[in-house]
Amino acid sequence: MVPTALPSVALIVLFGGSVIAAEPPAKAPPAFNTDVRPIFKAYCTECHGEAEKPKGALDLRLQRFILKGGKSGPAVTAGKADESLLIERVKSGDMPPGKKKLTAAEIETLRKWIAAGAKVEAPEPETLSIGFPITDDDRRYWAFQPITRSRVPATKTTPAASNPVDAFLLAKLSDRGLSFAPIADRVTIIRRVTFDLIGLPPTPEEVDAFVNDKTPEAYAKLVNRLLASPQYGERWGRHWLDVAGYADSEGGAPEDPIRTNAWKYRDYVIRSFNADKPFDRFIREQLAGDELVKPPYAELSAADLDAVVATGFLRMAPDGSGVASADQKLARNQVLTETVKITASAFLGMTVGCAQCHNHRYDPIPQTDFYRLRAAFEPAYNLTAWVAPASRQVSLYTVADKKKATEIEVDAAKIDAERIKKQDEFIEATFEKELAKLPMEMRDKAKLARNTLAAKRTPEQKKLMQDHPSLNVSAGSLYLYDSKAAAELKKMTEAAAEVRKKKPVEEFVRVLTEVPGKVPTTFLHHRGDPDQPKDAVSPGGLAVLDGTLPLKLSEKPLATGTTGRRLALANWLTDPKHPLTARVLVNRVWMLHFGKGLVGTPGDFGRLGEKPTHPELLDWLAAEFVEKGWSMKALHRQILLSNAYQQSTMRETAKDSVDPDNRLLGRFTVRRLDAESVRDGMLAVSGKLNLKAGGPPVPVMEDDAGLIVIGKANRDGAQYKLGDESVPAGEESRRSVYVQMRRSKPLGVLAAFDWATAEPNCEVRNSSTATPQALLLLNGDFTAAQAEAFAERVRKEAGPELKSQVSQAWRLIYGQTPTEKELAGAVRFLGTATETFRKLPAQPLPKAGTKAPEPPTPEVRALSAFCQALLSSNRFLYVD
Amino acid sequence: MHPFTRRQLLHHSTFGIGSVALAHLLNQERLLADPAKPDLEPKHYDLKLKPTHFAPKAKAMISLFMQGGPSHVDLLDPKPKLTELDGKVFPGTIKFDNAAQASSKVLGSPWKFAKRGQCGTEVSELLPHLARIIDDITVVRSMHTDVNNHVQSIHALNTGRIVSGHPVLGSWLCYGLGSESQELPAFVALPDPVSLAVSGVEHWSNGWLPSVYQGTVVRSREPRIPNLDPPPHLKGDSQTELLKYLDELNRDHLAGHPGELDLEARIAGYELAAKMQTAAKEALDLSRETVKTKAMYGLHDPATAEYGTRCLIARRLVERGVRFVQVFTSNQQWDNHGSIRSTLPAVCKKTDKPCAALVSDLKQRGLLDTTLVGWGGEMGRLPVIQNDAGTTKVGRDHNTYGFTWWFAGGGFKPGMVYGATDEFGHHAVENKVSQHDFHATLLHLFGLDAKKLVYSRTGAELSLLNGHDGRVVKELLQ
Repeated sequence: MVPTALPSVALIVLFGGSVIAAEPPAKAPPAFNTDVRPIFKAYCTECHGEAEKPKGALDLRLQRFILKGGKSGPAVTAGKADESLLIERVKSGDMPPGKKKLTAAEIETLRKWIAAGAKVEAPEPETLSIGFPITDDDRRYWAFQPITRSRVPATKTTPAASNPVDAFLLAKLSDRGLSFAPIADRVTIIRRVTFDLIGLPPTPEEVDAFVNDKTPEAYAKLVNRLLASPQYGERWGRHWLDVAGYADSEGGAPEDPIRTNAWKYRDYVIRSFNADKPFDRFIREQLAGDELVKPPYAELSAADLDAVVATGFLRMAPDGSGVASADQKLARNQVLTETVKITASAFLGMTVGCAQCHNHRYDPIPQTDFYRLRAAFEPAYNLTAWVAPASRQVSLYTVADKKKATEIEVDAAKIDAERIKKQDEFIEATFEKELAKLPMEMRDKAKLARNTLAAKRTPEQKKLMQDHPSLNVSAGSLYLYDSKAAAELKKMTEAAAEVRKKKPVEEFVRVLTEVPGKVPTTFLHHRGDPDQPKDAVSPGGLAVLDGTLPLKLSEKPLATGTTGRRLALANWLTDPKHPLTARVLVNRVWMLHFGKGLVGTPGDFGRLGEKPTHPELLDWLAAEFVEKGWSMKALHRQILLSNAYQQSTMRETAKDSVDPDNRLLGRFTVRRLDAESVRDGMLAVSGKLNLKAGGPPVPVMEDDAGLIVIGKANRDGAQYKLGDESVPAGEESRRSVYVQMRRSKPLGVLAAFDWATAEPNCEVRNSSTATPQALLLLNGDFTAAQAEAFAERVRKEAGPELKSQVSQAWRLIYGQTPTEKELAGAVRFLGTATETFRKLPAQPLPKAGTKAPEPPTPEVRALSAFCQALLSSNRFLYVD
Repeated sequence: MHPFTRRQLLHHSTFGIGSVALAHLLNQERLLADPAKPDLEPKHYDLKLKPTHFAPKAKAMISLFMQGGPSHVDLLDPKPKLTELDGKVFPGTIKFDNAAQASSKVLGSPWKFAKRGQCGTEVSELLPHLARIIDDITVVRSMHTDVNNHVQSIHALNTGRIVSGHPVLGSWLCYGLGSESQELPAFVALPDPVSLAVSGVEHWSNGWLPSVYQGTVVRSREPRIPNLDPPPHLKGDSQTELLKYLDELNRDHLAGHPGELDLEARIAGYELAAKMQTAAKEALDLSRETVKTKAMYGLHDPATAEYGTRCLIARRLVERGVRFVQVFTSNQQWDNHGSIRSTLPAVCKKTDKPCAALVSDLKQRGLLDTTLVGWGGEMGRLPVIQNDAGTTKVGRDHNTYGFTWWFAGGGFKPGMVYGATDEFGHHAVENKVSQHDFHATLLHLFGLDAKKLVYSRTGAELSLLNGHDGRVVKELLQ
């Protein structure tokens, strides 16, 4: 039988479990800084040390303070654990107060430390300022160490390891007597790398070309072709949009209003990936593009426009402040909080958000760090001079555009004026005609009444107008009297509109920038409560890095008139010496290629996160990435050209027993297609995919069945359909990255397959196997439509012969011709299915006078059903 | 030495292992898992049955959610003091939500209360059907969330948090327990045809729990479950053949991928989906119900027919193993800010008979012992008048500081009243039950320790209690 406690221990053994409660190495007594202090930090020092007046005068931050103790005497008697007050208090559960208590293992660690003399490894600082101490030991944490280009291990295990990626991985594998799995077959490789880089399946022609390319560079050429494809940016840009928390709606409130023009940021991201924009530049633009470009934003070059649009990154947080019912103070503070969280998880891989309310319990991130980062954003998100989400648009009209628009407006206004003059004439003429119908003696009175403002009419005048309603001739009712005149006026209105159409289209972008000269003070909020501001905080980076890499602020405002705080933050993050940014980025890229990061928690490199399985490889990649000019495509090549990436997915018992989760990468991992790849892949196979790039998102709406589908909602408040809801032909088949991402209305097909949730951003996607996915594939309209289109394509390309149809379908969806057995199985299915469909009752006769479309033949139906089975098959939905 | 892990063990015996043994192993792992350890395994989640922390009383819950805030002082929490002071100035401080229409004039309940049943619990004349089954009912008069408005208080009761984006009680139950049914979804929401309740789809949101624990909406009109119907030509034999062929393809593929549990799970998913097509249809088909049963739920009366239908569906679902069912009233139907003399009787009329019928029906079928029924909204109402514009116009404003829920079955002690509000019904003062106590107690009845039911997310262990102390209210339990 399995020994009970072993599973979790196994993990710790293999990967150096990152839980602070882990047992110290056998025999050696626990060390104060590495083993004991983290426990105090997690449970005690918020009251006993970090507060201005430590409770009970007991300070547990330093060993000598602990020995000294507080009001109740020494906390610890060295060598005598069981006589120590501290042990007594934690054992009895008196301390810490509240529900969170020390585990037995943690108490044992403390006991052993005391029993061994309660020593400290290194001399402690002479003085300690009040608050949150960051010790040398904290600074020595792996993630804060400078990135050093690790030495590539000697590769005696295999000569194939010419790629350093392989050398690092093989070194670890060979430590355990293991090696790589064999290289996968060519079809598997092209399917894997094509889905990976462009999110689509390879075409049969592409498969053939690769399979038949016998040159040694065949694979490298394939990788280069894919990296050069415009679909690369759509795929990898989408990954970045997950990190940024991209959405086409504001969120933060149930109304979830549309976030207009967010798509311009989306297109910028895609463009940047396709252009392989150096990632440090990409980061600087997103955090501070407005500080790189001098306003006004007219006559911008394409590059400058990109920099401005890039600040859309900082407009991605959910923002409920535009909704009438919003509590403005809360809503605004929430936007800042989420912005700090997104920035920290995207670039720092640290859960800085935890420090919003208190010093971080596990990492050396004091509460002030959260507010130092927040201070970088507060001049742009000024709480007291808030700009509502809908008003954040900046016009991109050039001076010439504006001039032209003004000229055109003058012309249009002329037509308007003429029309109004004419209209008045018509009204007067009509009125006179109506007046003439009254008895002579009433006419003057009636005229006076009608020419008096309604509110000022005497009761007598009011009655007169009421008794003779036809006197109420107005612009709105003129058509009832004189249709010819009304038609003439309508023509003039149209003419004016026609003229206005000639104005240059006014484009807007959603920019983040500051109002020059307005610099609010950032305050630390006691317990994160905006109603309890405490000390003022200046902008800064992580305090733990202050000694090695302080964030350098600009001393005076920049030429752009802004504070330069965000540019300083961006420069700090992209400093080649920054220990986190490059590591976090290459880790994320690794995760997307292999399914799991070298650090398994891509948004948390802290103590509660996972430690890197291959720290040297992580550092080597990070160093290489920075040295190669932050080139994302170079990083892809480095990883993809490794043997590790080209391995087969086949499991081996020996490897599974040592490394069941494949963290050592002795094989490739089978993975389900993500949401976009399922939908886009189906569209590609069916031949319907529309590769039109960029522009406003394809709208989504709720259909009659309450499902979110593609369509342009056209309903009244009671959900009554007013008219056509279709999108222009072909729009429904565009890539998923161009489908509107409304937080409250995720497209059904994508949501079922674990689409990104922007709350506020998405670090890792789930991969569920829920039954709604099966129902959707079996009975959903989208699947049915793609299956029919797929079948039609197969018929067109393969002709009427069943075996050719099966072969072509197989090639289109799996990139391979079927085996004899598969062919036989498919033909058998087509046969039985055709017979079954033949037995279906005849279609009802079309209504007299209407022409119903010819019902599909049993053969056609069978082929569609066959195609649907293929689209629903695991072989399609998973990538080897 | 490399100790065995669960996965490895499974791989060793790749296909020889039966599903029972598999479930056993998975269960073993759950029991043994160190709760403080962040789970670094690739995440895959399912609805297979999971072991409980201790023996459960309840297997299923039906939440009759009365969105808007039923006026407890007019329904189940009589306050003679209000009758005494009717029309006089309220002798204390009131926390108003709507200051514009606020008044400090006391509103004595316009309705009479009487002791009912053996237990003698006092029930308003507005709830005659509930009164008849009051001996099966546990009334809690000391609920409170203390957060000011509908949305926040709804979140508090659903998720233990007051902001959106977090998993609801039903998702937690499915995550912790899995499903009793292999043919139906584990978590079903039955919204009102008129409109979604305030907070909308968030009532059945899995938040950051895996989407397999999301509630499935059974709509108030046909088709009640989307994608349940194959296209006409794929009904019956043709679909069976398609599924058989698909299964063949998937098993071939699996044979080439030994040890990939995800692929097996998906094969099982198609099996459930196929079953759901008929099982869900059958579950939602009320034509087999007797005339007597239908009458009991008020299906022949236009005032109760629609709500009664959904209550009846709820019973049919739990009868077939669905874990958590929510039945909603429409948007703010219980939010009686004005004209309470006409609006409150109307919504009572709509719901009283069906709710009582549901409890009686569950009882007569022997399902009440294992089915927990909970009735209530996100707040109660104030003792004073809002909208002082004449007898027919007056109403009551929000009150989240003290309100009433009732429960039946699932291990609740029947025929009792627990907790109390102050003499005006404004604040819960005695044996207070917070949203966290409410959650801890419900999970307890399902055999779950709310503190131990956690989910790892970006390094944190998250629970429904959200770090609060949730008290299992033992006094309420059998």
